[in-house]
Amino acid sequence: MIPFFLYLAAGVATGFHVYTLLMLAVVGAPVDLLEFVSLAGSLGLLVAAYLSLFKPNAAARLALPASLAIWCFYGPAIARTVGWF
Amino acid sequence: MLPYLATALLVLVTAYSAVVSFRRPRDGSAPTWIFPNRTRRSAQITVGICTLAVLLGGAVWLTISARHSIRHSSRFLIPEGYVGWVRVEFQVNGASPMPVEGGEYLFTFPPSGVLRTSSSEEYGWAKDHYFYYSEKGTRMLPATSAGGGGLIWGKINGEETGSQGKRKYEEFFVGTEQQFREQPR
Repeated sequence: MIPFFLYLAAGVATGFHVYTLLMLAVVGAPVDLLEFVSLAGSLGLLVAAYLSLFKPNAAARLALPASLAIWCFYGPAIARTVGWF
Repeated sequence: MLPYLATALLVLVTAYSAVVSFRRPRDGSAPTWIFPNRTRRSAQITVGICTLAVLLGGAVWLTISARHSIRHSSRFLIPEGYVGWVRVEFQVNGASPMPVEGGEYLFTFPPSGVLRTSSSEEYGWAKDHYFYYSEKGTRMLPATSAGGGGLIWGKINGEETGSQGKRKYEEFFVGTEQQFREQPR
């Protein structure tokens, strides 16, 4: 059950976070394409969570590219926040 | 809080999924709690039932909230040539209630751009209409998404605490998209 809860919690937390950022578009905030890539990655983690109940290794092979897709948004966002560029 | 939690979980998931994807289990090695082979049948059924309950609960909640959030359409009349933020303050003691014309609430802003009413704010989806008004008549203001040439932007519904207690308000910007982006707030 560890992989299930891990993938589920990460998928829900990242998905909800990026969704709230996307919703700022209604007050005029610019939308970044990487936010959609990240949202797709969160969906992939949710699928991986349920797959992990039956095939943990296949779920991990799905969760890895999904988490890398999420990093596409979080990586530059963290780098900009800490002032790396 | 949420960004930190999301980042921490993302780091964990990336590391865990990378280890599980690339590790080579030794022959005959028993599954462990951190690297299980597969989940017990009872746990699979429990997760399935819980997921179904969450989805059903969400559907029921959405249905109930949609039925209770009926909102009238609104017609906002703004003084001709006004550019800037306008604001409606709801539930103001001593102010007059919003008139209804043709099934639509009628919000007629004074030149100051601030309108106070004793009416309560309604929630839900409805198609609103925006107009400039003058002695010559009214002129419709388009409300579009970004890049569509609209003149209504940044609609905000909020609540603030003042001398009369909590008060709900609604604000939006009247002007071009460029004016909206350049205005100080």
